[in-house]
Amino acid sequence: MSERTFASPPEPDVYGPERVAPPPVPPELASRDDVNDTHYVPAPCQVACPIGTDAPSYIAHIWEGKLEQAFEAITATNPFSSVCGRVCDAPCEPACRRADSDGPLAIRNLKRYVMDRLGATWRPEPVSVTRSETIGIAGGGPAGLTAAQDLAEAGYEVHVYEQTSVLGGYMTWGIPAFRCPPEVFREDIDRLLARCPGIHVHLDTALGRDVTLDELKERHDAVLLTIGAWWGKGVRLAGGEAANGRVVDGVTFLRRVNGGERPTLPERVLVIGAGDVAMDACRAARRLPGCRDVKVLYRRGPDEIPARKDELHGAIEEGIEIVYNIAPVGVATGGDGSLALRCVRTELGEPDESGRRRPVDVPGSEHEVGCGLVILATGQKAESEHLAELGLMADEKVRTDWDTMRTGDPRVFAAGDGAFGPSTIVTAMYHGHRAAYHVKHFLEGDDSPLPYRTPYRTRRVPVAQDADWEVFPREHQAFHGLGENPVAFPEAESVYDDAAARREAARCYRCDAETGSSDYSVRAREDIFVMARTGPGNARKQQAVFTRRLAAAGRTHFRAEVPTLDDLVFLPANLSRLVIDPYRDACSVSARLGVALELGAPLVAAGFDDAPEPVRRAVAHGLKELGLAYLGRRPLGHHDVRWIQLLAGGDEAHPEAEAVLRIGPGAPPERQHGNQLVGVAATAAELPGAIPAALEHDLDLLLVDGSGGLGGGWPELAGAPDLTAIRDTIRIMRDLNREEDLAILWFGGVRSGTDVAKLIALGANVAAVSLSLALAAGGRIEAGDVVFYGDVEQAERDEQAALFLTALRTEASIMPRCTGKTDIRNLEPEDLRAISLATAAATGIPLAGRNQRLAGPAPA
Amino acid sequence: MATVDLATIGVTEANELLRRYGVEGEDVEVVNPDARHHIGVGLTAPIALRVRGSAGYFCAGLTDGPRVEVDGNVGWGLADNMLNGSVVVRGNAGAIAGVAIRGADVVVHGNLGSRAGQVMKAGTLCCGGSASFMAGYMMYGGRLVICGDSGEQVGQDMTGGTIYVGGKVVSLGTDAALAELEPGEEDDVLAFLGRYGVPFRGQLKKITNAGRNLRYSRTEPRVRAIPFHAAADRTDYWNAKVQEDIHVKAQIGRYRIRGYGATRPLPHLNDLAFRRDLGSVEPDPDVVSKVELATSLGGRFGATPIELSMPVMIAPMSYGALSKSTKIALAKASTLSDICDNSGEGGLIPEVREAARRVVVQCLGGRLGWSVNAMRQADGVEIYISQGAKPGLGGQLMAAKVTEEIARLRGIPAGIDLRSPSRHPDVLGADDLVIKVEEFREATGWQKPVSVKLGAGRVRDDIKIAYKDGFDYVCLDGLQGSTGAAGNEVLEYVGIPTLAGIMEGLDALEEIGATGMPVVLMGGIKDGIDTAKAIALGAHGVAVGTSAIIAGGCIACLQCAVGQCVVGIATQDPRFEGRYDVDAEAWHIHHYLEALRWQLASVVHAHGYRSVYELSRGDLVALTPEAAEITRLPYEPDHAERALAGAAGLAGVGAGHGLPRGEVTG
Repeated sequence: MSERTFASPPEPDVYGPERVAPPPVPPELASRDDVNDTHYVPAPCQVACPIGTDAPSYIAHIWEGKLEQAFEAITATNPFSSVCGRVCDAPCEPACRRADSDGPLAIRNLKRYVMDRLGATWRPEPVSVTRSETIGIAGGGPAGLTAAQDLAEAGYEVHVYEQTSVLGGYMTWGIPAFRCPPEVFREDIDRLLARCPGIHVHLDTALGRDVTLDELKERHDAVLLTIGAWWGKGVRLAGGEAANGRVVDGVTFLRRVNGGERPTLPERVLVIGAGDVAMDACRAARRLPGCRDVKVLYRRGPDEIPARKDELHGAIEEGIEIVYNIAPVGVATGGDGSLALRCVRTELGEPDESGRRRPVDVPGSEHEVGCGLVILATGQKAESEHLAELGLMADEKVRTDWDTMRTGDPRVFAAGDGAFGPSTIVTAMYHGHRAAYHVKHFLEGDDSPLPYRTPYRTRRVPVAQDADWEVFPREHQAFHGLGENPVAFPEAESVYDDAAARREAARCYRCDAETGSSDYSVRAREDIFVMARTGPGNARKQQAVFTRRLAAAGRTHFRAEVPTLDDLVFLPANLSRLVIDPYRDACSVSARLGVALELGAPLVAAGFDDAPEPVRRAVAHGLKELGLAYLGRRPLGHHDVRWIQLLAGGDEAHPEAEAVLRIGPGAPPERQHGNQLVGVAATAAELPGAIPAALEHDLDLLLVDGSGGLGGGWPELAGAPDLTAIRDTIRIMRDLNREEDLAILWFGGVRSGTDVAKLIALGANVAAVSLSLALAAGGRIEAGDVVFYGDVEQAERDEQAALFLTALRTEASIMPRCTGKTDIRNLEPEDLRAISLATAAATGIPLAGRNQRLAGPAPA
Repeated sequence: MATVDLATIGVTEANELLRRYGVEGEDVEVVNPDARHHIGVGLTAPIALRVRGSAGYFCAGLTDGPRVEVDGNVGWGLADNMLNGSVVVRGNAGAIAGVAIRGADVVVHGNLGSRAGQVMKAGTLCCGGSASFMAGYMMYGGRLVICGDSGEQVGQDMTGGTIYVGGKVVSLGTDAALAELEPGEEDDVLAFLGRYGVPFRGQLKKITNAGRNLRYSRTEPRVRAIPFHAAADRTDYWNAKVQEDIHVKAQIGRYRIRGYGATRPLPHLNDLAFRRDLGSVEPDPDVVSKVELATSLGGRFGATPIELSMPVMIAPMSYGALSKSTKIALAKASTLSDICDNSGEGGLIPEVREAARRVVVQCLGGRLGWSVNAMRQADGVEIYISQGAKPGLGGQLMAAKVTEEIARLRGIPAGIDLRSPSRHPDVLGADDLVIKVEEFREATGWQKPVSVKLGAGRVRDDIKIAYKDGFDYVCLDGLQGSTGAAGNEVLEYVGIPTLAGIMEGLDALEEIGATGMPVVLMGGIKDGIDTAKAIALGAHGVAVGTSAIIAGGCIACLQCAVGQCVVGIATQDPRFEGRYDVDAEAWHIHHYLEALRWQLASVVHAHGYRSVYELSRGDLVALTPEAAEITRLPYEPDHAERALAGAAGLAGVGAGHGLPRGEVTG
């Protein structure tokens, strides 16, 4: 380990090569990682979050009103969720794809909404200590406590040594109460400690002062240093020493204020810097007694400002002036005790290593800005003489290798701001997770574990079904600014109400969720997004996308073992069958069964013999509207709808029936009067016997039962109809040279007008619609049955039935029209192609694209 | 006055002369016309042209400004798409006189054939005698004056404009109705008749659109798409999607309308793999410079070919379905990647012409936004017969997207649910199409490639006709092709998959020895790998539509028809269009195209080939039984595993740590 290199954390890139070639996740994290789910790609917001928060799922749960589930998704990787709901840097939001259109989802506010409701009261299941090794963690901030929780959850006993009197680290001392009240920090910490009784906390115990590293190493099997970056870096301002304590560093200033002090300030305060510390410092100063005018001085322009937009907006709203393109060069103190900051104007030069343009002083622009106090918020650093003496510090940080989270001492790990420089709370938590992972492997004797990777989970929450999701603008939390008593630091913003939270949640694009298109699936879409965000010169990423796209062929095959109507398509009229008519939807769809039964469409309804009376009435209404008939053992008894009687068991043929059909064993029905049609029903297996018999008895109709269970209940629920039945019907009749001698009535699996048209093209004359009409008339499939509830008005049910049948008729007319035909009765098998071999075999329809001349006879 | 004698020169040469006289401003007399087709086609100068005899098809078609007189009779398609000027015919006119005119005066002293004034937008079409059936068929605007009897179904499916009938109204077409004349209206018509010396004594009857059929009566409830896999399992017959469809139809009484193409799993290029193990080939950062991808299209008949830096085009998508911003971004990206854009339906807008180095202009049956000027500005002309998303039906543009500007460009009334005609008024069969293609050639002086866009259906027959009708190349679009709006049932169940389409097309061309006919394949092409497979099968190139749109920010929510696209792509509402950053998205689309180029080059290079056209069927295998049956490639499903393993070999590119383990995504 001694001559090792110390790797640094990589720059985050939401559309980086990892998006198309995610590194494998270590096995112990696999249960929390779903990137191998073909129907899921982590959303940009989730990838931008260092700890991989499943934001799309919790947002969708909020829309559903399932706050407990949302809470679970939020807190799964984030022990400081309540704090983050208020003050997270929220890198998810700039990554949100909606940021490019009308503003990103207010993901942080939505988190706060959930945490404000559940965060204080939620009591997690405690985890017990199961292992003998213990870990000492120096520093009770977000990095240390996150690691502590992970290690405790893994069964270790953990001791946290905190130099101050409270847990929480810099965030509790640096973030003022108007942004996050102290009780919110406590809320998260209490939850964490309740979950992990194996964590022992030693307050007021500073490393180097109260305990040495050697002592920690002696007490524990591993040590983690999460000492934070508590000290302001400051800039050395010429003349600053003479200012007599009127030039202070921002971190110290905030620590005092958060410790409860409310010093009276001079009237005019200048804050140097424009990061988050500067924002907190200027806003805190603005609230303190005496202070009336706060200016923030920043050496770059508004486009470069590092502060979060919300915080900047808050500062401006509270009357703080942001002065851009200005840099301090020194402090001038007057003999009268007056103080002024000497400044120069700047302009932007070439970009520096951070990619931001470097400010350059404008010669001759020096001027003074009068003030009573200067707060320097220009960066933070870690400090530990003790660790420096042990040779573990470098560059104002604990020298730490990113890949292993180890320091120069093999048993000592480090993480957080103290190890990698000041960052955000959520980054500190990420470090904590990483460090815990490496500590665990170290304790298990595994010296080269797989690299840590943030796991990405999805809870597969359905997309919010809000009609206005495209329209809703970003919701803002109510902003109260300084409040009535500024010095008490009341919260500057208040949380959404339920309606606002729901509207905001509805806006989510759901970049993580599978699309409605198998062709442009979520994976295809996201790969294309990455392609669109890859420069031609980036060969590594180009290769990664290339390999990913190659692999798509290994994964997304067409599989269609079950024959189904879905795998039949119509052949449109193009050049080879051009016709003048019809241009519009007009296409004749009327039908006739036998010689006598005229129908407004090749449709009858069936299966409502035992349905509730309001449903039967609605079905009758729809049938009447369209001039259709009902097929059943008893008539519908409403609206004089014509009746095709199904004769089962000992049923007697009824003279009022337009047609009578025998189902099951028994003699063919006797015609009751001259116009009455007679026929029999047959399943696929019964056809070879039934058809010759029906022809022999000179029957009119053959009811082909593709469901195999006509006559009771909802047989179509069993699944796809048996399409060999219609194929064999036509084959048998053709073999007998009696193709036109029986009218074919099909039953089974009709869901749409397209299904009807396909069945007619296959040889049926009329199709019966049953389960789909039941669903249209308010039925629901529950536990293998269809259930009707009484929550629908009769008029509405009537209308639904009629509209659905109308839709079927319209759809049925479009298909022949596309093939260039003006009458649905002219559809024929030649208008169809199969797209699966199974369906081709079951229907006898050729596979689209197959060249029989070159490919030989069709496979069986 | 100059004289052109058709007894001594051909029509092409004559039209060239006419155009030259036009530039010089000299009036011309055509003698010995002999009822030839295309006399005066493409004339865009305001000269007088006198035809001393009878003319054939498309006399004065695709013109802007001339004053034409014909002493005898004319064949069909008189003054086709004329923008300005006048045509006076002393005798009778064949079918579809005044088809798609956009502002001219077209006067026939005798009788009109059937479907006179079909899809006309503006101007006046007038006859001194009677009209045959379906006069004013699908007219969008302008006026049709019939001094004699109307013929049957007058005003069939008209959406705008006015028809005046002096004689008997034989029967009214669907959604046409008799209306009261406004004060002064009759005087205007009579003044027109007087101006052209058409005698008329009688009482005019006025026919307008009845307004019953311009908008769908019920609005479809807006729901966000159910994940496709909820419906992909063929054993789950009554899945959530099926149930949702039933519930929605029970509220609207018709088919559902949405954007995108077929959404269910279909046999596709993904069901093929390269025989060679491409995943294990060492990546070459300069791969693009090491292979030849450039090609050209459209030189079969001497036109100036369209040069392409790679065999990829932007698929036709309309300004209307897409916002203007999106059209501009696509055009810019096509220029940055040095390929070719396409106007889609609805006309070539100046912003696209300016942004695109090369652009093809499309001609659809409704002739919306179509004009001779657009043809001249374009680098290629394309006749749309159908598209993969909705073959057999016309385009749909829902009222929310038919803004004043779109309506003006297309020459239609604003705010209607536009259902474009599914057929060309002047193409009822293959023989008509030959003459139509010639008209285009004449109008462009045989300088522009003329292509045809076909939705895949009976490809085996269609493509042979396309070949024999003299197109430069065919754009073949499979069932996976997308659209801004179509009925769900048509999107899913009409037409054959892209893979089946290309196989039928290539087989058919081979059958008639027509292998020199380039086929541009589209419908679900997503990347350089799909492109390479299409070319290996025998396509000359591909076009990308949906993928380019996604690269430019589309999130694939399928709600294109609604008109309030959340990312500002499929909308005409400035509130939503304002969300679209043209330059940023143009660069995204450009980068997408360059990534496609990288992938295509990588496939070619990995095979050890120099040119993309060295790829062949022998490089491919089939992964599914269906793909094997369709393509006649060997069925070798094991190659799927290898592709996955290739991805595994690359997983963790960012980790920089030893050999990666575990499963990967692809």
